[in-house]
Amino acid sequence: MLKLFGLSLLIFASTAIGFYLAHRLRERCHQLGELLRILQVLETEIYYGSTPLSEAFHRLGEQGEGVVARLFARCAYYLDHTDGWTTYACWRQAIVDMEPYLALKQSDKAWLDHFGKVIGGSDRLDQHKHIRLLATHLTQAEKEAQQELHKQEKMYKTLGILGGLLIVILLI
Amino acid sequence: MDSRILSCFPQRIKEALLHLPLPLLEQIEEIRIRINQPIEVVLGSHSYFLSEDGRLKKEPDRFIVTPADGEKILNLISRHSLYALEEELKRGYITISGGHRVGLAGKVVRVDSRVELIKHIRFFNFRVARPLPDIGKPLLPFLMSHNEPLNTLIISPPRCGKTTLLRDLIRLLSTGMKDDFSGFRVGVVDERSELAGCLDGVPQYDLGPRTDVLDACPKAEGLMMLIRSMSPQVVACDEIGGKRDAEAILAALHAGVKVIVTAHGSSLEDIRCRPDLKPLFESSVFERYVVLSRRKGAGTVEQVMDAHHHPVQLRAGRRKNYA
Repeated sequence: MLKLFGLSLLIFASTAIGFYLAHRLRERCHQLGELLRILQVLETEIYYGSTPLSEAFHRLGEQGEGVVARLFARCAYYLDHTDGWTTYACWRQAIVDMEPYLALKQSDKAWLDHFGKVIGGSDRLDQHKHIRLLATHLTQAEKEAQQELHKQEKMYKTLGILGGLLIVILLI
Repeated sequence: MDSRILSCFPQRIKEALLHLPLPLLEQIEEIRIRINQPIEVVLGSHSYFLSEDGRLKKEPDRFIVTPADGEKILNLISRHSLYALEEELKRGYITISGGHRVGLAGKVVRVDSRVELIKHIRFFNFRVARPLPDIGKPLLPFLMSHNEPLNTLIISPPRCGKTTLLRDLIRLLSTGMKDDFSGFRVGVVDERSELAGCLDGVPQYDLGPRTDVLDACPKAEGLMMLIRSMSPQVVACDEIGGKRDAEAILAALHAGVKVIVTAHGSSLEDIRCRPDLKPLFESSVFERYVVLSRRKGAGTVEQVMDAHHHPVQLRAGRRKNYA
């Protein structure tokens, strides 16, 4: 009886891992899309509105509901409430705070990191270029993420169940 | 001292300043920050250096501003957004909340031999703004007739308080005097963001309840824009000089709007000699000229003259001894 319970727990766990990995894939697509949308708004705020960064980030945080919007809201909080931290430090701290919720790959995060280094630190035209560049990369990343999702989502899920079954069979 | 200035400094500088005795703190006129140099504090005509434990010394102190401090200050005054300060970086100063000014210096970037911006900002001069309410009050009766303002030109060399005077006159005209006149709608074109000290378009100085401000707008265009859009009864602007300014003022007068402006110069003759302003004198548009000097401190009124350049006498029963 106990054996049966253990085995079913094994199958359940491996299925859950499969579903979790598939979920991460979907979530990455989602977050990249959200980031792109937010960047577009930010571009307008900076390039046409000359809105100060903390105000722009606040607005972005309020408009969206996803993880990325929360990231920007978090950063806006640090921009307003810390004693002269550099913009980059505020951005880093916000990313550290949101880390558990971000389903992004290392390469995406490297771009986010770069974004923190350049945002706010130069004139409008330069900011515009930086944001455009980042958007280009993210669009590419989103495309890849879509393909990956398409190819691997089902695979992860089935692999999870089947893997669990395989281990069970081997154990019996 | 205004907490809005203090909030522009990193913690350790803020703490050193807050260690100063309160009366001293209130008297500070300028705080000058230079990277790798001690902090200079200017009170009146004396300059001191700030020590870490909050004392003022005559000799340079060991309390040095680090490059990291400079970075922090820049972040705090720009609110992390250098791109929003393009115009300010061209002019070399930023207006912060409370109407205080921060002068900037560093490395200048040029495009087509014009100053494009200052980057690597390494020198900061925090100039504490202190409103002097009612300095225009004694002068006001001279600039009104039958409770209507007269077209006025304030002539003054730099640093003699012309902007401060103009600001107060705007406030008084806009507020109105209880017994004499109710307020006027005043339109202000504030090209250098000095008169109103706007932050995000909101005046940081009190300009009265009936004042509309067009911030950072070129005077000539701004005057016409205001007249078309805000129907002011009085328009005011600082430091006229160009040909187009003169034309815009004439246009304003033809629109039936009263004008109060200032110009750099030490006497009426100085101004009359300026070729660009000639049209204004040919049609003798100004009904009052006020000449300022520093003889008895900033804001000393030397003369008030009428349209024919005669000194103005007040009618009996009104206040005398204005200077």
